[in-house]
Amino acid sequence: MTPSFARRRLLTGAGALAAGTLLAGCSSGGDGGSSGSRRLRAAFSAGGSQETLDPHIAPLFVDQARSKALYDSVLTYKDDMSVQARLAERWESDRSGSRWTIRLRSDARFHDGSPVTAADVLWNYRRIADPATGAAAQQLFSGVDFEASTAKGRDLTLVLQGPDFEFPAALGAPGTEIVPKDTKDFAKPVGSGPFRYGSFTPGGKALFTAWADHWDGGPSIEELEFVPVNDERARLNALLSGQVDYAHDLTAASASRVGDRDGLAVLRSRLSTMQAVLLRLSRAPFDDARLVQAFTLGLDRDRLVEVALSGHGTVGNDLFGMGLRAYPDDPPPRERDVDRARALVKAAGAEGLTVALETSDADPTWRNASALIADQLKDIGLKVTPHVRSAATYFGEVKDKGVAFHSRTATLPVVTHLRSRLRSDAANNLMGYEDATFDRLLAQATATRDEKTRLELLDRAQRRARDRDGQLVWAFSDWNIGHSDAVTGLRAAPPNSCDWARFDRVKLG
Amino acid sequence: MRSPRGHRRRLSGTARYTLIRTATAMLQAAFVLVAVFVLTSLLPGDSVDAVLGEQGTSEQQRLARAELGLDEPAWTRFVHWVSDLGHADLGHSLVTGLPVTDEIGSRFAATAVLAGAALAVLVPLALALGLLTGLREGSLADRVLNASTLALHAVPEFVLGLLLTAWLSVGLGLLPATAAGLRGSEILTEPAVLILPVGVLVARQLCDLARQIRIGVAAQTGGPVVRHLRLLGLPERTIVLRHVLPGCLAPSVQQLARCVDGLLGGTVVIESLFAVGGLGTGFVESVQDRDIPAVQGYALLFAATALTVNLLADLTAARLTPQREERA
Repeated sequence: MTPSFARRRLLTGAGALAAGTLLAGCSSGGDGGSSGSRRLRAAFSAGGSQETLDPHIAPLFVDQARSKALYDSVLTYKDDMSVQARLAERWESDRSGSRWTIRLRSDARFHDGSPVTAADVLWNYRRIADPATGAAAQQLFSGVDFEASTAKGRDLTLVLQGPDFEFPAALGAPGTEIVPKDTKDFAKPVGSGPFRYGSFTPGGKALFTAWADHWDGGPSIEELEFVPVNDERARLNALLSGQVDYAHDLTAASASRVGDRDGLAVLRSRLSTMQAVLLRLSRAPFDDARLVQAFTLGLDRDRLVEVALSGHGTVGNDLFGMGLRAYPDDPPPRERDVDRARALVKAAGAEGLTVALETSDADPTWRNASALIADQLKDIGLKVTPHVRSAATYFGEVKDKGVAFHSRTATLPVVTHLRSRLRSDAANNLMGYEDATFDRLLAQATATRDEKTRLELLDRAQRRARDRDGQLVWAFSDWNIGHSDAVTGLRAAPPNSCDWARFDRVKLG
Repeated sequence: MRSPRGHRRRLSGTARYTLIRTATAMLQAAFVLVAVFVLTSLLPGDSVDAVLGEQGTSEQQRLARAELGLDEPAWTRFVHWVSDLGHADLGHSLVTGLPVTDEIGSRFAATAVLAGAALAVLVPLALALGLLTGLREGSLADRVLNASTLALHAVPEFVLGLLLTAWLSVGLGLLPATAAGLRGSEILTEPAVLILPVGVLVARQLCDLARQIRIGVAAQTGGPVVRHLRLLGLPERTIVLRHVLPGCLAPSVQQLARCVDGLLGGTVVIESLFAVGGLGTGFVESVQDRDIPAVQGYALLFAATALTVNLLADLTAARLTPQREERA
């Protein structure tokens, strides 16, 4: 067997992933380089020759943007990560919360003209849940009992192994787009999205054409071209010189340059990426709760945002998901308290203790943030020394190395984050946070039918975790996209939301 | 004029030199292979860390490592790799599962086009500049070119690239800023995208090569042979073409070899700045991903290129300077 598995560099911490995915074969089909005036060119960072149009294996932002153009998902996320209809007309659970019925729209058609049926959707979810597929959203579907689930016409019934009133989050997650049943080859894929497949070379350009018969009205532009440009400076130059109309993921400095230039504009999505330092509670010295608290109180978050993020961010409050649905109402702000922090360090007998802070260039803000954190914690008697790892292997390495490390997470439903990061048995609980009360509150919340009570329980769970989970969220950084003024119909939206990288509503003037 | 015996001795001298030089190159290649393997094995993290990232569970990491054979001892993997190499098989990429030869092949065309274009501009330009300045040592042209090549040499490639892009592409809109989206030899379909990257590459290499030629030309021109030929009244063109140029070729060929070497393996900065998916970017990516078979494949290619080019240069230089062999 050929050992192979696709590269995963998504910011999210959503699903579990397995090895053993196969690549779609290379397709040729050049376009001669001619550019119609109705063609939108969008520059994204890309993944090289291992890229595929398989929507379920879509780890990079460019994969997701392409998926959004070619395919539809059953639900999608609003800016606050609550769910919204896409292929579904309605969705509801029985009283127990373990039996969900979904009715699909009647007017959704695949590009080959066939209707999108419940059987198609069920096949897709079964494929995602199969660990052998290596789907990004695998974990979200692991609680579905596929033997008991049924599909008939446009009615789908999904039976869960236990009650889960937050299950719809799974139906809108990245990597859950729907392809026709039994699709095996993704070289020239058929979807039901607003654009049809034109041409694609892994690591190269992708050209999609508008599909006028899309149920949502079809795009205004005629063609959509994805252009891979990995180097951020090159992406900026491509936009500045007019080679592309849209440049994804720009640094704060580049965004200012774009903003200053006539004919170009910046979309700045606030609160997009959680910036956090995670402390390993299961290991010395942070198995001592006093030191966790001292670290928390020692940080000067305002300075960190001002310096490390050049002001392009919002101060964080040790909780994921500011601005999203189910984020607690007004948790008290974290104030720096050097005296108390120093007293805690002294009480723990840790004065002058050296702590390595794992960092890398995986996020360009971390280097400065590390230096500043070291400086700030000197005031409370801790000697923090940044330890730089390679950007590509960083996230894999820190899973079991180090006691304090930088981390970041893009927007996702709060519940998804709590389940995959903070639950005692969660695969991505990097802090080693184990709290039976938190687990119970979370389970109780997701099993509660009443939305208001559910949110109250989630609120309680998060407030409890905030003081002891070792996840020090110091900021939320902005997400910048540059585009030409000729492109209208775009709005600033957080990654993973419906309106992020959405090109079917775009007009070229 | 030489005796037949002397002639034979000279041949065997050259042959011996070729033999020794080739053997050294092969030893060097073996050394490079071992060094690359040891160094990549010493890097923290592996391709499972790079690919699964924070999302993989420890069980998945363990399974993936077992599947990729990363749980085997390093020397076992090295032995496997070397024995596969014996069948001209570079193995499969740990990240994509494609044969390493395909991975490298898909990147080779872009770099080859860049390097070829750069050489096609570089060689005649360097010769012309070298001759112009070398023949008129101390003249205004010489001093101006000397100063400007020195200044150019002091500017890092990426700075020069950024400046030229800011001026010619972003400012004046004359040239494409990047080769974004063009894979491999597709770059030839829009030759305009080559101008900036080739310009920056040539600017860098030109300084070294032109100065090398200039030194050679100046040394020959000031030497007794040329003075004598001038006294004999030979036309200047003949003197330059028949005597000055051949005399300065030997050291220049070696400098040229270093240029070729640099163009094929060391264009990482230029490739990323102009979004050209060539060998340099491929190598850097595979190091980042800890894709050891790919890293070794690239290293092997670079080492083979360097050794072959330098071997050819040394042998050529040896032929061009026959007196050295007679001493050897």
